[in-house]
Amino acid sequence: MYCTKTAAQRRYRARTLFATTAYLLAIWGVTWMFRHRHPQGAAVYLLALAPELPIFAILAIFGIYLAEETDEFIRAVLVQSSLWATGVVLAFTTFWSLLQSYAPAIDLVVKVPMYWVFVLWCVSFGLAQPLVQRRYK
Amino acid sequence: MKNRLRVLRAEKNWSQADLAQRLEVSRQSVNAIETGKFDPSLPLAFRLARLFDMTIEQIFIDDGSG
Repeated sequence: MYCTKTAAQRRYRARTLFATTAYLLAIWGVTWMFRHRHPQGAAVYLLALAPELPIFAILAIFGIYLAEETDEFIRAVLVQSSLWATGVVLAFTTFWSLLQSYAPAIDLVVKVPMYWVFVLWCVSFGLAQPLVQRRYK
Repeated sequence: MKNRLRVLRAEKNWSQADLAQRLEVSRQSVNAIETGKFDPSLPLAFRLARLFDMTIEQIFIDDGSG
C-alpha cells in the first residue's frame, strides 16, 4: 500500500495473512474431500461454505482496518480504490454475463467460475490504489 | 483548497516527513494537503493550526470553490 506502515496497516497485514492462510487450507481440504470422500447432501453445502468463511473474514478485516486507520488520506484512497474495484467487477461481470447469454452459439465465451469474481475484485483493488493516489500528486 | 502549508513548513525548516511525524499522518497525506488536492478534516486542520500556532483561516485560503 504505502512505504511507511501505520499501526493499523500492520494489524491489517497480519490479520489478512491469517485469513488468507485459512482460505488456502480450506480450499485444499475441501478439494481433497470432494476428490476422495465424495460427500453427499447437506455436507456438500457445508463443505462449499468452508472456504467462504475466510473470504467473509477478509472483507470484515478490511472494514475493521478502515475503521482503525487514523490517516484520513490513506483511508480516502482505499475507499475510492474499493469503489473503483467494485465498479470494475460489476461492469465486467455484467458484460461477461451478457456475452454468455448472447454469444454461446458462436462459442466465443469461456465459462468463468464465479469464485474468480472475488479475485477480480482484489486485483482491481490493488491496481486502483496507485492510480487513485496519482490524482493527489 | 489552497493553503500556506509549504511556506509555513519551510519557515520551520521541516521536511514533509517531519511535519507528517508531528501530525501523526503519512507523508503522502502532507503532500496531498500541501498541493491543495486533498482537504483535511476539521480535526486535522485544527491540529495543523495548533502546530503552527495560527488559526485555520491563516493557513487555509477559502477561495469559495469548496
